[in-house]
Amino acid sequence: MSAKQAVLGLVIERPGYGYDLAQRLRERFGSSGFAPTGVYSALDQLVAEGLVASAGCLADGSTERAAPRTIYEATAAGVEQFDRWIRTPSSPANVRDDLNMKLALSRARDLPALTELACAQERECLERLEALKQPPAQTAAADSRRKGLSWGEVTALLVRDSEIRQLQARIEWLQRVRAIMAKLAPPGQPRGALAVRGGGAVAGAAAASGERSAGSVAAQGGGDLARADPDGAAGAARAA
Amino acid sequence: MSTELCLSIERVSKSYWRGPRETVVLKDVSLSVYAGECVAVWGQRGSGKTTLLKVAAGLEQPEHGTVGFRGQTLARLSRGEMVRLLREEIGWARRSGPESDELEMLDYVALPLLKGNTLRRARRRSAQALARVGVTDCCKGRWGDLTDGERTLVSIAHAMVRKPSLLVVDDPTANLDVLQREEVMGLLRATAEQDWIAVLITVPDMPSMVHAHRIGSLSDGRLLVPSGGAEESDNVVELPVRGRGSAK
Repeated sequence: MSAKQAVLGLVIERPGYGYDLAQRLRERFGSSGFAPTGVYSALDQLVAEGLVASAGCLADGSTERAAPRTIYEATAAGVEQFDRWIRTPSSPANVRDDLNMKLALSRARDLPALTELACAQERECLERLEALKQPPAQTAAADSRRKGLSWGEVTALLVRDSEIRQLQARIEWLQRVRAIMAKLAPPGQPRGALAVRGGGAVAGAAAASGERSAGSVAAQGGGDLARADPDGAAGAARAA
Repeated sequence: MSTELCLSIERVSKSYWRGPRETVVLKDVSLSVYAGECVAVWGQRGSGKTTLLKVAAGLEQPEHGTVGFRGQTLARLSRGEMVRLLREEIGWARRSGPESDELEMLDYVALPLLKGNTLRRARRRSAQALARVGVTDCCKGRWGDLTDGERTLVSIAHAMVRKPSLLVVDDPTANLDVLQREEVMGLLRATAEQDWIAVLITVPDMPSMVHAHRIGSLSDGRLLVPSGGAEESDNVVELPVRGRGSAK
C-alpha cells in the first residue's frame, strides 16, 4: 500500500491540509509505518498527476506569522482513480522475512540461539498485539450494543483483525519452529549429536510446517539478501 | 486504585499420564489476576489453556506450585470450604447448558440461587443477570433455541448470578462473528471493571484478546507475556500490575 493511495482516499473522505492529513494517516494506518513527512511528497505527486487540487487556503487566525494552509481536495480524475483502485484485486504482500532467512541459512550448531530467538520473537509479537489493544468501542452498555457500530468502526475493526491474525499466524509458526527445535535438541544432549545431518534439514522441516516457505525466499535471491543482512546467521552464531 | 489480588498462581506445574508417557501440560506457570481486570490467555489447541483454567478455578490440583485465592491457599482448604468457594466465589461459565432442554433460561440461570432463596427471588435475580448481559429476550427461551452468541451470554449470566469474585470463561468467543465477539469481550471487560471482580479467560483466537486488560500466550505449557518492565527469570513471570483507568 502506498502513502499516495492512502492520502488520496483520506482527501476523498474529507478535504484537508497537510498536517491534518498526516495526523489522520497516523490515526488510521499507524501500524503501517508511513513516515509523517510522506504525506507532503504524496500530496505533491497527487497534485502533479492532477488527482488532487488545492481548494483554497485556511488562514491561521492565531498566529500571523504562520503560512496559510492549503486545503486539498480530490479532482474528478482523482475520484475515478480511487474507485478503480478500490475495485482492483490486491496482490498478497511479498514475504521476504529476515527471520525466515536466518532459519533457512542456519546451521545445526545455531540451534540453541535460534530457539532463544524464536522465543524472543514471539514475545515481540505479543508486544505488538499489546500495542493494538484498545477499549471496546461503546460495547459496555446493552443499549448502545443494540444500536450497532458505524461503517467506519466496523471496517476499522476488520482491519485490526487482519493485523492481529497476521501476528497470530506468526506466533503459531514460531511455536511450531520452537517445538521442532526442541525435538531436535533433547535436553542434556551434546550439541554435536543432533538428530539431523545439517542446518538445512532443520530449516526445511520447520519451514514446511509454517505458512511461509523460508526455502523459497532464500532460493529467490539468497545471495543478495544474505549480503544485505550479514548479521543474520552470524549474529545467531555469536549468541550461541 | 486498588491492587486487590484475587487469584495468584505461583510456579504451577501439572502433567498427565497417558499410559507410560507423561505429558507436561503446565510448566512453571505464574499468573496473578486482580479484582477489576480481565486477563486473557491465548493458546493453540493442546497448549494447556483449559488445564490452566481448571487449576485457577480449583477444579484440579497442580503437582507443583500453589494457587492462592483472595489470600487463601487452595491446597490448604478443607473439602467443605472448597465446595463453598466453588459455589459462592468462583463462577465458571459452562457453555454446555442445562441438563434438561425443557428448562427455560430464566430458571436455568436461577438454579444456582435456589438453595437459600425463594423461587420468586431467585427468578428476579436471574432476570437481572440476563438483562445485565443483554439477553432479556432469552428468558422464556430454551437452550436448544439459542444462537451461539446467546448461549455464551446466558452462560456468563449463569456464572455471574451468585456474584462471584472470580469469573472464569473458557473460549467465550467460540463460533462468534466479529461483531458478536466485540460485544461479548466488551461485556467481560465491563463486568470486571463495574462489578470489581477478576475475570480470567482463554481464547484460541488472538483478536479476542484486544479488550482484555492484560494478555499472555501459552505455548507448550509455558506462559509468555509481553515484557512490561517486569523482572523475570526463565519463564516465571509475574504479570505487571496493570495501570488502567478507573472503572466505567
